[in-house]
Amino acid sequence: MSFLILENISKVFPTAIGVKQFDLAVEKGEFVSFLGPSGCGKTTTLRMIAGFETPTTGRIILNGVDITDKAPNQRNVGMVFQSYALFPNMTVAQNIGFGLRIRKEPEHKIKERVAEMLALIHLEEKGDSFPHQLSGGQQQRVALARALAIRPQVLLLDEPLSALDAKIRVALRSEIRAIQRELGITAIYVTHDQEEALSISDRIVVMHDGRIEQVGTPFEIYNFPQTNFVASFVGTLNTADAEVLDPEKGLISVDGVQFISADRNLKSRKKGEKVRMSIRPERFSFASDVRKDNVLDCTIENITFLGAVVRIQVKIGNTSFSMDTFNNPFLELPKIGDRNQVTCSREAVLILGD
Amino acid sequence: MKRNRFWNWFWVFISLLYFFIPLYATFDFSLKARKGELSLLAYQQMIEDPRILRSLIFSTQIGVLTILLGLLLMVPTVYWVRLKAPRLRPVVEFISLLPFVVPAIVLVFGLIRVYSGGIFALTNTYVGTNFLLIAGYVIIGLPYLYRSIDAGMSAIDVVTLTEAAQSLGANWGTIMFRVIVPNLRSAMLGAAFLTLAIVLGEFTLATFLVGLKAFGPVIWQVGQNRAYEASALVIISFLITWILMGLINFVGRRGAEGSIAAGPR
Amino acid sequence: MSNNKFEMASGETHPKPSSPRKLSLSFSWVGVVPFILFAFMFLILPSMSLFVGSFQDSKGNFTLANIQGLFTPFILNAYWVTIRISLTTALMGGVIGFFLAYALVTGGMPSWVRSSLMTFCGVASNFAGVPLAQAFIFTLGRVGLLTVFLREVFGLDLYERGFNLYSYWGLSVTYLYFQLPLMVLVITPAIEGLRREWREAAENLGATPVQYWWHVGLPVLMPSLLGSMILLFGNSFGAYATALSLTGGLINLVTILIGSQIKGDVLHNPNLGYALALGMVVVMAVMMSIYYALRRRSEYWLKK
Repeated sequence: MSFLILENISKVFPTAIGVKQFDLAVEKGEFVSFLGPSGCGKTTTLRMIAGFETPTTGRIILNGVDITDKAPNQRNVGMVFQSYALFPNMTVAQNIGFGLRIRKEPEHKIKERVAEMLALIHLEEKGDSFPHQLSGGQQQRVALARALAIRPQVLLLDEPLSALDAKIRVALRSEIRAIQRELGITAIYVTHDQEEALSISDRIVVMHDGRIEQVGTPFEIYNFPQTNFVASFVGTLNTADAEVLDPEKGLISVDGVQFISADRNLKSRKKGEKVRMSIRPERFSFASDVRKDNVLDCTIENITFLGAVVRIQVKIGNTSFSMDTFNNPFLELPKIGDRNQVTCSREAVLILGD
Repeated sequence: MKRNRFWNWFWVFISLLYFFIPLYATFDFSLKARKGELSLLAYQQMIEDPRILRSLIFSTQIGVLTILLGLLLMVPTVYWVRLKAPRLRPVVEFISLLPFVVPAIVLVFGLIRVYSGGIFALTNTYVGTNFLLIAGYVIIGLPYLYRSIDAGMSAIDVVTLTEAAQSLGANWGTIMFRVIVPNLRSAMLGAAFLTLAIVLGEFTLATFLVGLKAFGPVIWQVGQNRAYEASALVIISFLITWILMGLINFVGRRGAEGSIAAGPR
Repeated sequence: MSNNKFEMASGETHPKPSSPRKLSLSFSWVGVVPFILFAFMFLILPSMSLFVGSFQDSKGNFTLANIQGLFTPFILNAYWVTIRISLTTALMGGVIGFFLAYALVTGGMPSWVRSSLMTFCGVASNFAGVPLAQAFIFTLGRVGLLTVFLREVFGLDLYERGFNLYSYWGLSVTYLYFQLPLMVLVITPAIEGLRREWREAAENLGATPVQYWWHVGLPVLMPSLLGSMILLFGNSFGAYATALSLTGGLINLVTILIGSQIKGDVLHNPNLGYALALGMVVVMAVMMSIYYALRRRSEYWLKK
């Protein structure tokens, strides 16, 4: 049996429905992210696991025990809040030791554990400092240590990095992942930043409007989005309306331009049906390099130099597409207005489901 | 958690009871001026009493002058401190809190001792004592006045507004009267209503400086002699205070609650 | 502070008037002169003159006799009673006010209950002095409505049992009418400053609500609680009108004593009166210093 099971969870608020029909099984030691825009229900679901909200329907089972009706202080889950929520009247060491003190552990054991945690987050000298004397990133690490000190069964993180600067965010998220791996602890991580979710999760649960859109590994979510929403929310994506020409052969027409797609979704469509097609920008390349299944005439509309990536806007037929290529200092960039040819494989052309 | 609900309502209920009963008792008493029946006789007598109306008008005038003097003093000062002398801010703030150290009775004692030239005048133009009274009220209201204006200026970020106006070519007069003051309207009005509430009910300063010309001492005297009229006066003065406080809330932002009392924030 | 086009004198970071002149430190004082002058003339000077007067005898020579004169039983008693009643009402108002404020902020009350009670607190905290005393006479005086009601409906005769509105406890109950609302108004921002996440974090780590209050809630609130109660103390300490209207001088309070002295030389030594006033200011100054320190402390913590 999976370590953490959320079964048929839903949460109805007086003014809106927060979460609908949420089912998820998490294995021990897994790092799962809940990813979605504001208001999609990810934080509500997390808070239900923590016990701060009661589910309207469904059960939550942790390590074989039904915790749905247990009070928050009885669940032994560790929570890290977006605003750190460190107790301002206590030092770092006292904050970290708080949970153990409540459990009435012997003083020397608490000292040991606090030292252990301080070493884990690399803040050994800050034990006697107060929260307001630390930077945001340091405070969040202390919050993490505080949650881990009680040896929780699950670690819950509610957008822990949203309040921090971009650089610190990147550094800290790797650190969190490293600690999680080292301790082998199961973790649920809520975020609206898809890059964050992609980079550190074992699996991602993409949510929208209270529902689960898709559950999968980062690789799956990015490369094989199952719904419109997932495709457009995760990474950048070209989308366009298309008409099915031949479902068997995988031919579609985007405003007169023919594409070949290997997407299985096509098999169930009929000729003449309107669908939505999508291609990741990085799946395009110039036909002068290698010719793939689709070879398309285009005009260069715009070029944006992003550093490592060069984003080129090309017009294929009447539709604009975004194309990403790696920066190559020895290759001249195309000019706006040039005529050129781009190519992509048939597997790159995705048909979006709903 | 459910248990807490009970205690919350308990405290609210007890407090409501405590606050309401004296008002009700007074109101009930005020309706009994005519023996054996409920009537508004007490209110009638009160309105017809010339002393009361006169003193009310006098105190209102004093109140308005206090507001004007207070704003005239504080708005430029706070503005100046924010703009040109931020280092003096702790000094000004400290001084604005000093009135708390000097209770009204001590203040009036000192004022009389220093300015006793003003109070023994027997002519009809008690200008000297009136001015002393107004000055005293400005001092008493200083903490609230400062806090109100300061919070108002902070909320509109005067420094940036001034810079913007300057870069568009405005001179000081324009900046002050067309940019700063209009944006401070709610803070100033809040301070004004609060000052009025303080002045109208004030007794200590009034009784020693102007005696029965002011509303506070008159309420006291009526209370000594005519109980029914006094009870009507209590109700009326309570209503006036209520209206003024309501106006403050109406005019101000949420911070108005905190600015009524001097405390953290 | 501001990235300003006009260049400034060394160390200064103030924006300039339209003419790009240098603004030295001495010039920056000019704008606050009216304010300081006014405060000096009508607050500091009067206080100083009392201060000086308390060290003088009737001929103007320096003496400590007045200060010594404060330590007579009669006057010491006045201070003691005044301090006692201030402590009592500060504590009562403080504790009840805290529970009421807490109930209003976190109790899940409908918003109209909270806002109307808050407005009422603003009214009640200003509704002091003569009208308040009279209202209480109408309520708890010998033939007050409540007195009569209790006697006739519950058979409880307050005055028989020793209660007297025109006494220490009667005055305390009356003072409470403006102390309680003041406490509510002052402590509410501090309670609002208690972040919900602290409570949740504590619960998440295994604490019961009581443990949360003991380890986190109360310690964080303590400076504000103490500071507010000091404010209440000061409020009560300096009260004159209420006491005079209610007890007419029966109760020996310092404010009443000073008032009598102003009206006529009841102490037979005007300089003693100045010393009395000085004593009041000293007590208030001590209290305000403690308040100031506490406020800085609580702002320090609650800021982050």
